[in-house]
Amino acid sequence: MVSRSYEMSFEEFQNQARLYVIGALEPEETEAFELARNQLGKPAEDFISECYSMHEAFALSLRPAKSSDALKDRLMSMVRERRKS
Amino acid sequence: MGRQSEERVAAMTMDLASTNALPDDPTEAPAPKLPAAAPELEPGAPTDLELMHAIQKEDPEALSVLYDRYNGILKALILRVIHNEAEADDLLQEIFMEIWNQAKNFSAQKGKPLGWMVTLARRRAIDGLRKKQAYARAGERLQTETEQQPDAWVHNATEEEITFSDTRVLVRKVINTLPPAQQEAINLAFFKGMSQREIAANTNTPLGTVKTRLELGLKKIYDGLKELRDEL
Repeated sequence: MVSRSYEMSFEEFQNQARLYVIGALEPEETEAFELARNQLGKPAEDFISECYSMHEAFALSLRPAKSSDALKDRLMSMVRERRKS
Repeated sequence: MGRQSEERVAAMTMDLASTNALPDDPTEAPAPKLPAAAPELEPGAPTDLELMHAIQKEDPEALSVLYDRYNGILKALILRVIHNEAEADDLLQEIFMEIWNQAKNFSAQKGKPLGWMVTLARRRAIDGLRKKQAYARAGERLQTETEQQPDAWVHNATEEEITFSDTRVLVRKVINTLPPAQQEAINLAFFKGMSQREIAANTNTPLGTVKTRLELGLKKIYDGLKELRDEL
């Protein structure tokens, strides 16, 4: 049985947090991460928040792809319909 | 720091209802501080936040502007995950409908609109990928892509929009500092939603090596983005 008394250092937590926000932690690692997160409190939450900005950076690293005008027309028509109902 | 500069210090987000249990649930992504430079806006153009507020008041024109501003980025992200033009268009439409329907759940206190949209788009795209049980095909595509285009981080789409070019160059500069193996591991985790074990299996790499690559690569990107923010 895995000991629950293990305490993750903040540096280890930071490494895990970067994996966590992109969904790359394995289930057993997630469990340990959540325990450490609770123990470390606000600094942990603040760090996790910062890590999420990597999502946006990854998206912005891509060249924009073109969508058809028809797609936008269809979307806006659906939105206006939804608004009426 | 001016309003547009603050917009450039973009990041993650919010309260969107999700049926997915991915750990990147945006509900727990409050007030980010790190960068990820957002595009420069035309003078007088509404900020993303102003557009979100207008959408919350059910202004279709605001959604139209937001669509024009970000459809290319979000479609590129979706395409990067599912590699199918028609499905990407369908998903893009669904995502913007979700933005419209869920806008009331967006809270500026918890993050920036672009971050919220990116997190949503990524989750939906990965959901779509999983529903199709397409991991095997994705692995084959990855191999093909790697063979055909070594610079696999950016591979799709013609460049129709130049708005993001400066931002992209800056972010890519950070990413390009990573060794290819680290880029590949992050690519599979972020854009394919793979776990470490799945990455190890797909790349015939020991699990410990995958873990190290992800940790080192993400730390470099995180630190690089921080430096980028300081420069802005």
